[in-house]
Amino acid sequence: METNNFSIETENLSLWYGDFQALMDVSVKIPDGKITGLIGPSGCGKTTLLRCFNRVNERYGNVTTKGEIKILGKNIYDSDVSLLELRKTVGMVFQRPNPLPISVYDNILFGLRIHSQFRSLTRTQSDEIVEEALTSVFLWDDLKDKLKTRATSLQLEQQQKLCIARLLPLKPKIILMDEPCSALDAKGTLAVEELMSVLAGTYTFLIVTHNMAQARRISDECIYMFLGELIEHRETQALFETPEHPKTADYVQMRYG
Amino acid sequence: MNRSNLLYNVIAIVILALVLFMFWNFAASTSYVEGKITSGGVVIDTLSTIYGYLYGMIPICCVLILFSLAVAFYLEEWLSHRSWQYRIIERIIAIFACIPSLVYGLFCAYFIVVKSQQISYLTLTIAVFFIVVPVTIRTTQQVIQKVDLSVREAAYALGAKRMRVIADHVIPNTFPMILTGIFTTISRVLAIAALFIVICGWKITESNSKHSFDIPNNAIVLLSSALLFSVISCLFEKKKSL
Repeated sequence: METNNFSIETENLSLWYGDFQALMDVSVKIPDGKITGLIGPSGCGKTTLLRCFNRVNERYGNVTTKGEIKILGKNIYDSDVSLLELRKTVGMVFQRPNPLPISVYDNILFGLRIHSQFRSLTRTQSDEIVEEALTSVFLWDDLKDKLKTRATSLQLEQQQKLCIARLLPLKPKIILMDEPCSALDAKGTLAVEELMSVLAGTYTFLIVTHNMAQARRISDECIYMFLGELIEHRETQALFETPEHPKTADYVQMRYG
Repeated sequence: MNRSNLLYNVIAIVILALVLFMFWNFAASTSYVEGKITSGGVVIDTLSTIYGYLYGMIPICCVLILFSLAVAFYLEEWLSHRSWQYRIIERIIAIFACIPSLVYGLFCAYFIVVKSQQISYLTLTIAVFFIVVPVTIRTTQQVIQKVDLSVREAAYALGAKRMRVIADHVIPNTFPMILTGIFTTISRVLAIAALFIVICGWKITESNSKHSFDIPNNAIVLLSSALLFSVISCLFEKKKSL
């Protein structure tokens, strides 16, 4: 896939769940290597938009999409686009930590095993990949003796970091995060935010959050959505301090939502 | 419905029809319990019943259970819950699952005692089909539905295909509970068979001087087996990992 200054571009993107229109002509450009926040009241289409980018939405069957989505310059609905390759390029972290109910070690390697030939990884290679991924998310010291532990038995914060770590061996270009800290306490939230700040630059982050303080703290750019429409997309500081649209002003100044 | 879904449906229906056709031919052509030939006629004693069960019930139950598991996985993993096919199959299963298994036992007894005067594979297969299939499909569906959606989403988002998600996550996580359902169903079949032996055995012994049943022993063996399977199903239930 060819690269330009924008990791994600959409053009007049509309989406329907059955008869209900969840997204209305959304046109947006997400810059490369930055953290972009998606904010807005519940039900405004943030998560729907996020899920469009790795086509996870399609699993629900009654979804109709119109418009164009380009990831790294390539339309993801083109017939020659492999869903497998797309999901390798666009990783996703969910609202609730959802490690697979297997060991920590196998969680890290799960994605890689899907995308590589059967038994093509040697034991040494696997060990190195696991160590590297866990080190990147600052979990190696805590988990190096618990690699065979079932991942679901870890603390929530560790589980969420593990969910980020399991994406890294696939070397994704974009990481989508759907309220990744909503199930975590303040310490866990801080740990994930620090991790994002460290990884930003290498990866493009798009994060859905209800926590405005968090959006303000970690994102470089921010998008405000309302009832399926993109209302405003600007640099975070500008959007919070001098919002151009009255709806954005109402929301960021907490007069609504 | 898109073209590939239509193709999957057609293939599934053809395989299903073939399996049922072959099974029906097998069932219709084989006799079930062979008694011991003695000077007093044919005596169907406890050992003959156990042998008949091993010979007759195990293939029937295995095929029907595998068939039920396949249907349950097809319904839950492939078919959209909003599709008309899903709704129709669901209704049919719900109707048959609601009928007490005693009714099927009595249906079986009626055909043996009143119609054919002998225990045939076919009658047995029909009765066991209606006892085993709807309940096994229902329990398996419920177990599959319990697999956390987030686990599926995580696997799909990493690029896993449907078969991979089923093989790596759905089956390993649901297996103990699926086994519980299977053993509970087998236990029900055995309990119904005990009742069936009492009614049919008594009636056949009474009406046919050349055949006789060792009714109390047969019934006790079947009821004990039913109890054993119930206990086994409880053990698996404790091991459930969901």
